[in-house]
Amino acid sequence: MLKIRIIPILTFNGFGLVKTKNFANPRMVGNPVQAARVYNSRGVDELVFLDIFASEQKRKINLKLVADVIKECYMPVAIGGGIKTIEDINSLLKIGADKVVIKTKIIEEPEFINEASGVFGAQCITVAIDVIKNNEQYYVFNKLNKEILLIDFLKQLPSHRFGEIVLTSVNCDGMMNGFDIDLVKLVEKNISVPIVVAGGGGEPKHFEELFSQTQVEAVGATSIFHFTQYTPHDLKNAIASVGKPVRILKNSVHSK
Amino acid sequence: MVAIIDYGMGNVASVQKALNFLKIECVITNDHRSIKNAECIILPGVGSFMRGMMNLKERGLDTLLTEEVIVKKKKFLGICLGMQLLIENGTEPLDSKGLGWIKGTVKKFDVPGLRVPHMGWNDITIVKDTFYKGIGDLDFYFIHSYHMVPQNKSVIAATVNYGGEVVASIQQENIFATQFHPEKSQVAGLTVLRSFFEQNA
Repeated sequence: MLKIRIIPILTFNGFGLVKTKNFANPRMVGNPVQAARVYNSRGVDELVFLDIFASEQKRKINLKLVADVIKECYMPVAIGGGIKTIEDINSLLKIGADKVVIKTKIIEEPEFINEASGVFGAQCITVAIDVIKNNEQYYVFNKLNKEILLIDFLKQLPSHRFGEIVLTSVNCDGMMNGFDIDLVKLVEKNISVPIVVAGGGGEPKHFEELFSQTQVEAVGATSIFHFTQYTPHDLKNAIASVGKPVRILKNSVHSK
Repeated sequence: MVAIIDYGMGNVASVQKALNFLKIECVITNDHRSIKNAECIILPGVGSFMRGMMNLKERGLDTLLTEEVIVKKKKFLGICLGMQLLIENGTEPLDSKGLGWIKGTVKKFDVPGLRVPHMGWNDITIVKDTFYKGIGDLDFYFIHSYHMVPQNKSVIAATVNYGGEVVASIQQENIFATQFHPEKSQVAGLTVLRSFFEQNA
């Protein structure tokens, strides 16, 4: 049986790991290589590393640092931030990324999804969708001053080939008050590839709510690991308690 | 020396990292001489079947690999697309010929109610345990939209359930291959790799 994936999302500002609230007020939370080492030793299902300011600051992701992060990982790793070209993707895959996460470029030029999946295969192209709720309407959050209704964005996506979606609620980001379940239900109805839900997980019961009320198979989390004592293992126990399959390791984990 | 075939199809660095961890000497290469000199060949790869075959042909690797693996019986490990390419007939995205070492075809997942790609950790059912002894955990990391359907079921070494049983691993003489990514499957994956190389030392 396919297991629910719990994926720590490391967000990076070009210098160190940061954690935002509602995508603002980044707070320094540590060193990315050390964090990757810890998550690897805990045998997490997968890891996402995002340079969340690369596009906005018009810079490329730091490949040397990404390579150091990937070196620590014996599980799949997805990398995102400032990806604009086929060459950018190639550089990341070459140093060991399994998937790349693309957001801004796709909003600017949706056709880039097919261009990229045509070269590298749909399985390694992850589309990031950040969603903001204003006056009871969902919009695709972006820093390009574009007003895009989420439903319009979702309707045009199936004509593109990609492997996965990382769906983040801006309103819930960093608040640790629970996931936006209505948002997840809306997106899972319209998308046929796997969805990683992020934004809002602050305690195990939030994960129980997400997995008992939706059919998604993956969840991303950041704050809960930085600011509470809960580990990915605790969340797996919570998810198992609502009858969903999780991967509990029997083996101890290899370390260097 | 192990030759990890570099044919422009994805993440070869991770395979090398896993072998380095196991202290197995390896080189990422598409050089014919290095491949001929290697004791063992790994064909990794992600992406589409058609492009994978095209890339092998462009580098003259289709005939070279067949010579080394089928004629000279060199030890061979295929991973993900590197397993699917062994089949006679591919369908991704259009009908195309594979290496043809294994009779059969590949099919796109048609699993109503389940998401495609089949992505994440799933537990395998072991049919032939040659390289699966002592793995402890049965969960391995999968990421694929197509699955192999061999004509001769006796080549199947392991299966995985995703809307039905599909092939997770095959074994035929000197050929071993996995649909999952052992290099991404933490302890269980490294154990399978170690077991494959120890038994082929």
